[in-house]
Parts: sequence; structure tokens; C-alpha cells
Amino acid sequence: MKPDIPAVLAELAGLVARNAAPDLDPAERAGALSLSAALLGMAAEAWDGAAQRLVEENRALRALLSDAGDRKGRDAALAGAEDEDLRISVLSAANARLRAGLIALQAAVEAEDSPEARALESRIWQELRLSTERRRMSSALA
Amino acid sequence: MSSADLAPRLAAYAARRMPAARGVEVRDLSRISGGASRQTFRFRLTWTEDGAPRERRMILRRDPPVSLIDTERRVEFEAYRAFFGSKVPVPEMIWLEEGTEALDLPFSVAAEITGFEAAPALLWTEAYLPAHETLARNKWTILGEIARADPFALGLDRVMPPPEPEGCWIRELDMWEAVLDADEAEPLPIARAAIRWLRANPPPPAQKIGVVHGDFRTGNFLYDRQGDIHGVLDWEMAHLGDPLEDLGWSLNPVWNFKRDLAGGLVPDSVAVAHWEAASGLQADPEAVHWWTLFNCVKGQAIWISSARAWIDGGNREPIMVLPAWGMQNPQDRAILKVMGHL
Repeated sequence: MKPDIPAVLAELAGLVARNAAPDLDPAERAGALSLSAALLGMAAEAWDGAAQRLVEENRALRALLSDAGDRKGRDAALAGAEDEDLRISVLSAANARLRAGLIALQAAVEAEDSPEARALESRIWQELRLSTERRRMSSALA
Repeated sequence: MSSADLAPRLAAYAARRMPAARGVEVRDLSRISGGASRQTFRFRLTWTEDGAPRERRMILRRDPPVSLIDTERRVEFEAYRAFFGSKVPVPEMIWLEEGTEALDLPFSVAAEITGFEAAPALLWTEAYLPAHETLARNKWTILGEIARADPFALGLDRVMPPPEPEGCWIRELDMWEAVLDADEAEPLPIARAAIRWLRANPPPPAQKIGVVHGDFRTGNFLYDRQGDIHGVLDWEMAHLGDPLEDLGWSLNPVWNFKRDLAGGLVPDSVAVAHWEAASGLQADPEAVHWWTLFNCVKGQAIWISSARAWIDGGNREPIMVLPAWGMQNPQDRAILKVMGHL
């Protein structure tokens, strides 16, 4: 999730402290605190599963890139890496590189006219659908 | 600037704009929560004129330093003015101040429309359920009236550049793709795939150049329990273009609010029928599909822009995080749905 959760939590801490001042407009305080509560709920929901989601997704993306053979648009270095550092910031950075690689691969596959390309394209869409399932939150707005 | 500091400066501004008024005061100034693209306040303006006390409820909308949507306030102001008194209900615009001397930032003041609701969540409470069909008819009839309007007769072409009918789609797609390019904080493979499809499968030329509200959806109008609509708000993204663009935004699945109905109210086909009847235009299904998918991309660009504004430090208000966290995944799923991949 962007902005990153730790940065938002730090900002919310300051906002809650400011809203403890006694002379604030009650309507402004209510607005700030209700929004903060909604964000804290989202952060809580995302936090526990964040590393698992990223590791799972990175693994799936590497498998796709690995199975793409030597197609134009495929980054072989991305396909061969592994997640050894499990900090969320590091996993997220790897995820961003892999998703950029997936965009390049998907664009290349779309331009190809072969049954193999269509099969790979179908697998890419399947992974994209799964990626939205992994990121889904019960507290989403829509 | 706090509300306490703002009130006297606003009163001084109002007094300058109302030379016949005496004792001008701003009372009960309070900020309305939400409003990611403008800071919005309600207040009562009181004064004496011709020896008689006067009062009017008003809305102040002030530009924040960095907003969710960077828009021209003159365009928004003129859009409201163009439709005031028409079949498209809008609040009366009173003042537009584009300078920064009065309140440090540009602002506009409008009459407040009181006594009605805007929050989408209320619509699915028991009191409002019987009004859904009426509300939907009114909602898409009003949208059709916006499409029917002649922007040239309204003089809106003076502030909104008109595209050629065959160029509407590419102007909008180029603009919102550029927003994604500039603001994305991480790669967006689903939105990028949608953009490639949109470019490869362009829609037909617009039937006419019309007024596009740009953000016409459940949540951006004032309604009552009978399903009547009393004010269409949030014209920040108004422009001239293909009227189907607005229809597509209203059919963006994120505005279904987790119900499989347009706006959470009625099936898409019903919404489109109301729009066609009011606009006098045809909603070609393939063109509507293109504009709906385009609006999913536009939505994603808006949500990631709010993240960018927060990340860069220009606007650290929590309202900027809410769409970034709460809408990006639903918008990706909406793209998959519209493209037939969900």
C-alpha cells in the first residue's frame, strides 16, 4: 500500500496529538479523528498479512517470468532472484521491480501471435486477478 | 489558518464585495470534513442593509496548497454559473476570488443548499431504499440534461477548450496516462494493460461536443428521502468533450458501492435508458464500454495522485490517504471486471 503504512502511522500519531488540544473546532476534530480511525483500521487489516502477500506474489511473478522463456520484454535477472530479506520495505521494492517486469512481459506477449503467447497471456491475467484478491481489504471503500 | 482567524478576514472580504451592507459578520464558520480537492467550510453571513437585518447561509471553498485534483477554479465557477436556474440543480455561485490577498489562497463562495444528504452510505439505510428507482431516474436524467446542454450557447467554450469530436478520447486518455506516469508510486500492471487496450480499440467520434461534469456519481449530489436531487456538486473536473465520458464515469463499478448495480441503485441498462431519454443521444454499447474502462483508468490516476500528494509532503491530511488505500484495489478489480477478466 502506498503511502507506506509506517509513514502514515507516524503522521496519524502527530495528528491525534494535535487533536488533543482543547480549543479545536469540534467539527474539525470529529472529521480528523474519524478519518484517522478509518485509516488505522485499514493499517491493522493490512499489517499482519503484508509479508506473506508479498512473498507469495513475488514467487508467482518470478514463476511467470521464468516460464516466459527468452521472449522480448522478459528480464532474466528478475526471474532468477529470491526473497532472502523479509523486511516489508525490501519485499515491496522487489515486488515493484517484478510488477514492472510483468508489464513489459505482458505488452510483449500481447504483440505475439501464437498459441503459446495466448496461454501465457491467460496466465498473466490470472495472476493479476489473484493479485487483487491478495490486496483486498474488508474495509475498502468500494 | 484556523477558523477563528479565517472568519474576520472572510467578513472583511464580504464587506468589500457588498458596499451597501453594514456590520458584515461571519458566524458559525466550521469546516466540512472530506473535500480532498478543496477546503470546504459552511458559515452564516449576517449584515444590515437598508436598516433591516439580513442573513444568508454560504459555503466557502478554498484551495489547499496541494489538492487531490489540480483544477482551474474559474472553470468550476463558470460551470456552476452556466447551469444555475436550469434543469440541472446547482447552488448559486456568489464570489470567485482568484487572488491570494484576502484569504492567502484562492477561493469561491456559494449559497448553501441545506436540508439534504450527500453521503452514499445513507442510501442503503431503510428510509432511503424505497426511493432508489426515483433517485436513479433523477440522477441519470440530470446527467442526460448536462449532456443535452449546448456548451457554446452557455459560453463555456470561453473557459473550457473544445476538442474535435474525433479527438475527445485521445485528449482525455493522454492526460490521465500522464498523471499515472508522473504520480504512480509503484507499477500498476492492470491499469497499464487497460491503457494498451484503450489505445488499440478507440471509440467512435463523439456525437456532439458537450459539457462533461467529470465527477458525476453517487456522493456528489444532494438528495432527499423521496429520491429528488437538489444540487449537483463538485464540478472541479468539468470540461468539454464526449458526453459518453460522464456516462462511463457513472458506470465505473467502484461507484456501485459493493452492489452489482449502477451507482448501487439500478441495473446499468436502466441507468443508460434514463440517460438516453434525457440527452437525446445514443449510448452505443461498445462506446459506453470504452468510456467506462477509460474512467476506471482515470479513477486509478486520481487515487494514486492522492498518494503522491501525501508522499511528496504537499498535503499530509488523512483524506489524501483514504482514497489511496481504500480505492486502488477496488479500482483494479473494476478494471478486471470491465475487461472481462474477473
